[in-house]
Amino acid sequence: MEQSVQANKKFIVPIGPQHPALKEPGHFEFTVDGEIVTGATVRLGYVHRGIEKGCEDRNYAQGMYLTERICGICSHVHATAFALAAEQLAHVNVPPRAQAIRVLVAELERIHSHMLWLGVQAHEGGFDTLFMYTWRDRETVMDLLETLTGNRVNYSANVLGGVKCDITDELASAIHKGVDFLEQRTHYYLNIVTNDETFLGRTRDVGTMTPEQAIRIGAIGPTARASGLQRDVRINAPYAGYVDFPVQIVTAQGGDLLSRTIVRVNELFESIRLIRLVLEKLPPGEIAARMPRRVPEGATVSRVEAPRGEVFYYMKSDGSDKPERVKVRTPSMCNWGTVMATAVGHKLADMPMLLAGIDPCFSCSDRSVVVVRNDEPQAMTWEALRQYGIGYYK
Amino acid sequence: MNAFTALLAMMIFPGGLFLLASGLAYEWADRKLVAQLQNRQGPRWFQPLADTFKLLAKEEVVPDGVHRGLFWGLPVAALAAALTAALYVPMAGLAPAASFPGDLIVAIYMLSLLTLCLGLAGANTYSRFAVIGATRTLTQLFSYEAPFMLSLLGPALMAGSWQISSVADYAAGHPWMLLTQPVGFVVALIGLMGKLELPPFDAPEAETEIVSGALTEYSGRGLALFRLGKNIELVIGLTLVSAFYLGGVANPLAFLLKTLALLFILAVLQSLFARLRIDQTVGLWWRVGALLALVQLLVVVVLKGMGVL
Repeated sequence: MEQSVQANKKFIVPIGPQHPALKEPGHFEFTVDGEIVTGATVRLGYVHRGIEKGCEDRNYAQGMYLTERICGICSHVHATAFALAAEQLAHVNVPPRAQAIRVLVAELERIHSHMLWLGVQAHEGGFDTLFMYTWRDRETVMDLLETLTGNRVNYSANVLGGVKCDITDELASAIHKGVDFLEQRTHYYLNIVTNDETFLGRTRDVGTMTPEQAIRIGAIGPTARASGLQRDVRINAPYAGYVDFPVQIVTAQGGDLLSRTIVRVNELFESIRLIRLVLEKLPPGEIAARMPRRVPEGATVSRVEAPRGEVFYYMKSDGSDKPERVKVRTPSMCNWGTVMATAVGHKLADMPMLLAGIDPCFSCSDRSVVVVRNDEPQAMTWEALRQYGIGYYK
Repeated sequence: MNAFTALLAMMIFPGGLFLLASGLAYEWADRKLVAQLQNRQGPRWFQPLADTFKLLAKEEVVPDGVHRGLFWGLPVAALAAALTAALYVPMAGLAPAASFPGDLIVAIYMLSLLTLCLGLAGANTYSRFAVIGATRTLTQLFSYEAPFMLSLLGPALMAGSWQISSVADYAAGHPWMLLTQPVGFVVALIGLMGKLELPPFDAPEAETEIVSGALTEYSGRGLALFRLGKNIELVIGLTLVSAFYLGGVANPLAFLLKTLALLFILAVLQSLFARLRIDQTVGLWWRVGALLALVQLLVVVVLKGMGVL
């Protein structure tokens, strides 16, 4: 390693696969000149689990539980995306009450995800007090999700054709109480992230991305909305219950880490508003429709807005009880480019916050592979990689 | 001072055992206070001691490519420097073990030696985290050192002596210099935080960026000694600041109360802010800290020259 550093006259700081800043394995190489970053590369693929392939060997109900485990933070959106696609193929009409409950769980999940992110971001910036506070308050929403579905992490609120848990009056009042508390705390956090000088010093004008850049790189989710783009699947292509419960888009104009923080904190308010609206206008009726075991032949896509951005599912059915192909595209994958594009020119100290700024989910991203060979990163298409693999093992 | 009392001073009190024990106790108090302020439980009272024993018992891995002598010697030198500095400071409110005119300068430089050892220890290895940590440690040294020194010179000028014990005596007999030189007090307190690399000045060991900074490659004994050295530096720093600015430390009770009060302020400051980048730290010290300390010093000099004080 030393020889290569001297040969290239580059000082490369490796972050990962094991590093205190990373909660999941990924590998980043930052070329630095003193403290200034002059180049950045990313290598993923440490947690490739073959979930897409696994779906092909399981029936639809099992597949939904499998995709729910793609991500521990946004498990509900993966299950929803899978269920929506399967229901569309099977021509099943999901009762409106179920669709509303899906929205409710999705928004509770968004609150939990954004609060978790705020804590992680504060920790990356060395602001451990905010980290501890946000995670303490996040327990409120975790408890709500547990009361509602029975689980803290992989809630399994969905079944194919509807949801498995109903909202009782008791539950509704518990949720009201919880979100009242969270709303009050969110005001407090908004005050901190917009007024604390040291936190502002670490987020303002760091990683600024113009709207043009965001469009070119293909940023999505809060990362894109922080650059002023109107990108939110809940609004652009409403799914599940979002047709009846419209979302108001939250954007900011700065494009820097501060804007990304503000967008996420403001989305907490929007989620709280939606939760109250859903509880108030919950349609009566069944919570699940019957889903056939075999799904008719066909192909479809479904798009769901995860806390990190758009989750995209492609599903193809051959008429049996197992999907022929499931393709998942997760939001973190789309946003990696923004980190690499904005890293150059910043300080090394900004890198952890910049990395965490897109709210990355490493396990989600592990779908394409970048192979580092001869110290020069080289991107390979899936087909090329397959051919390479066949040739390698011949 | 005969050989026996000298040995006693170095091994038991105020150097040696007493200092190690109080260093661990203050580390615990600091960690516990910060934890409570952050809504956490915090460590049990013997945790720092347990950590030290654990580290001492562990195998020390010497990485390839380091200068072995330096790798072993630097932690020892760092701890020795911290222990030596304590001899000139009125520990626990009692008279210093050794004292001569100008020992303030010696004590301050003994404390800087510890930071210097830390920087060298980082630069000694090939680890990129350690090298960056060492650069940041030394950069930080150059930024807080001058203002911290200037802030301690204020009370020294008032007392007309560069001897720690006589400054402390002067402080005890006069109104608290916290009131007469508030700027100097603030600079001294924050300088102490920079010296100890406490948050928000913990860029040299920012774990989310460079793992453990200069100490990344240290695992066993060396790490334990460096940690002990830092704990002792904490006690000495608190003693110096309270002796100079909080009206001296006349007896053990006053020592305990005043240093703990200072520690509480440090803990609050530690949990209030996000970490400063190293360029922000340097900017803060040279644009604000040094300037304020200089103005304070100038005011003291002018007033003293006019015979007001």
